[in-house]
Amino acid sequence: MTVIPAPLEVRNVTSGYGDVAVIRGASLVFPKGVITTIVGSNGAGKSTVVKVAAGLLRAWKGNIKVHGTDITREPADRRVYRGIAYVPQGRIVVPEMTVRDNLMIGAHILGNNPARIEAATERVMQLFPALKPRMKQQADTMSGGEQQMLAIGRALMTSPEIIMLDEPSLGLSPKFVDIVFERLMSLRDGGMTVVMVEQKASHALGISDRGYVMHLGQVACEGSAKDLLANEDVKRLFLGEIPESMKALSFTDA
Amino acid sequence: MNRMKKVNSLGVAGVAGVAALVLPFIGSDYTVSFSIQLLIFLVLAYSWNWIGGYAGYTHFGQVGFFGIGAYVGSLLNFHLGVPWYFAAIIAGLAGALTAIPLGGAMLRLKGPFFAIGMFGLTRVLEAFALGFDSVTGGGTGIYLKPVSDLRPVYYVVAAVAGVMLFLTWKLDNSRLGLKLLAIREDEDAAESLGIPTTRLKIGTFVASAIAPAAMGSLYAVYLGFIDPPTAFAPNIELTTIAMVLLGGMGTVLGPLCGAVVLSVVNELLWANYPQIYLASVGVIILLAVLFMPRGIVSLGMKTGWVTVSRPLFRRLAARHGEALS
Repeated sequence: MTVIPAPLEVRNVTSGYGDVAVIRGASLVFPKGVITTIVGSNGAGKSTVVKVAAGLLRAWKGNIKVHGTDITREPADRRVYRGIAYVPQGRIVVPEMTVRDNLMIGAHILGNNPARIEAATERVMQLFPALKPRMKQQADTMSGGEQQMLAIGRALMTSPEIIMLDEPSLGLSPKFVDIVFERLMSLRDGGMTVVMVEQKASHALGISDRGYVMHLGQVACEGSAKDLLANEDVKRLFLGEIPESMKALSFTDA
Repeated sequence: MNRMKKVNSLGVAGVAGVAALVLPFIGSDYTVSFSIQLLIFLVLAYSWNWIGGYAGYTHFGQVGFFGIGAYVGSLLNFHLGVPWYFAAIIAGLAGALTAIPLGGAMLRLKGPFFAIGMFGLTRVLEAFALGFDSVTGGGTGIYLKPVSDLRPVYYVVAAVAGVMLFLTWKLDNSRLGLKLLAIREDEDAAESLGIPTTRLKIGTFVASAIAPAAMGSLYAVYLGFIDPPTAFAPNIELTTIAMVLLGGMGTVLGPLCGAVVLSVVNELLWANYPQIYLASVGVIILLAVLFMPRGIVSLGMKTGWVTVSRPLFRRLAARHGEALS
C-alpha cells in the first residue's frame, strides 16, 4: 500500500527568534481537505509553527514537506508557487489602495493573464460577496471584518492549495468571526487544506476537523477536534473553561 | 470622462514642459538659479520617495549619496578636467555602485534602526571627506572653475526631474509599485504572497541612489564649490524628507507638490522674514503632518482630482468588460 503524503508536514522542527528556541521538535501533519486548528496558551509556539511552514522563519532543525517534497530550504516567496498561502495576524492590507489593487498584489504570481486574474477575482468575490461592491473603495475605509476578508481574499488570489491563517478572528466582531469561519469551512469543502492558529480555541475547534494543542513549544496533544473539545485536561488547561469537576475548587463566581 | 481626464493630464504635462523650456529665456538669473535649486530638490524628493515612500524604508542617509556624487563629480572635473555633464553621469554610477554593498548590509535593519543607521553612515562619509584631505581638500573644499552660463545646468536638472516624474508614474501603475507598497505595509505578508522582498528592496535602494549622486555633482557645479558640510548637509536631507511628507509619501504627485510648495514658501520666508524662517518651516511641516498625514495629494484624492485606483488595472478590467468592478 502506498501512502499518499499529506499536502503539508512539519517534521521535528525546532525554530525561534534570535537564539531563543520557541518550538522544539514539533511535528504536525495537515491532511488535504481538512481544517486543522492549532491552539495553546500564549508563547506556546502556535504562530511560530505556521511561520516556519510559510518560510518566514528558518527551521533550525527538522524539515517542512509539501506533498512529500522537502522545501525546508526554500524561501517564503518561492513557497507560494507550491500552493502555500499565509495570512498573517492583524489583517494587513495596503490602506490607501483600493480593494481591487490590494487583490492585484496577490494576483501578481498569475502573470499578465487577465483571464486567470479575472477567474481568481471571481472566486474571491463568490466567497466574500461583501467585497464586490467595494472594489473601487480604499481599503482603510472598510470595517475590520471587511479588511480581514480582503486579507484572506488577497492570499486566495494566488490560487493556493493550502491556506494558513494566524488568528483570523483577532479583533473581529462575533458576526464577522462567524462569517470568516464559515468561509473557511466552504474552502475546506472545496478541497483546500486549511491551517488556523487561534486564541478563541473552543470556537475554532468547533468548526475544525482536527486539532493540535501546543504547550511550551511542543505538541502536547493532537486528535480530532471533537475529541479535543471533549477532553477534560485540554478544556481545563487550554480552552479557558472550567470543567464541572473543578468548579467547586475555583475561586471565580459561577 | 476617462478620456477627458487623460487629455487634461497630458495637456497639463505639455504646458509644464513648454514653460520649463522657455523659462531660462524669459526669467531672470535669479529665477533660473532658484529653479535649479527647486529642481534638484524635486529629483531628491522623487528618489527618496521610491525607497522611503513606496518601499517604506524611510531613512536619513540619502544626502550621503548626494555627497559622494558631489565629490566624485568635482574631483573628476577638477583633477581630470572631465566636463561637468559627463562627470554627473559618472557620479550617478558611483552612487549606484556604493549603494549595492550598502543596501545589502543596511537593509537587514528595519524601521528606526535603518533610518538612523543610514544617518550614521552619512556622518562617517562626511568625516572621511574631511579627513582624506590630500584628495578632497578637507575642510577647505574644492573650488571648481565657474560655469559662465547656468542655463545648460538648468536644462539637465529639469530633464532629470521630468524623467523621475515619468518613472514614478510608471512605477505607480506597475505591479512593481504594488509590490513595493506591499513590502512597506508588511514584509512577511508580502513575502508570503510571493514577492521577492530582499531583491526588490536592494534594487529600489540602488535605483534611489543614482539621481541624488548625479544631483550632488550638479549642485557642486551650480555652487562652483564643494566642502564636506555642504556636500553632506543634514539640512538637504531633512528638507527632502519634509517635501515628500508634505506632498504625500508613496504617490506620483506628492514629491512635486511638496517640493514646489516648500521651496516657494522657504524662499518667501527667507527673503521676507529671515529671523523666523527656520521656525516657520518647522511649524508648516508640523501642521502638515498633524492635519494631512497623507500629504497634499490626499486632498486631491478626496475631491476626485486625483484617481485612487491605478490605470493599469482599470485597463486590465476593461478588457474583460469591467467584470472586476
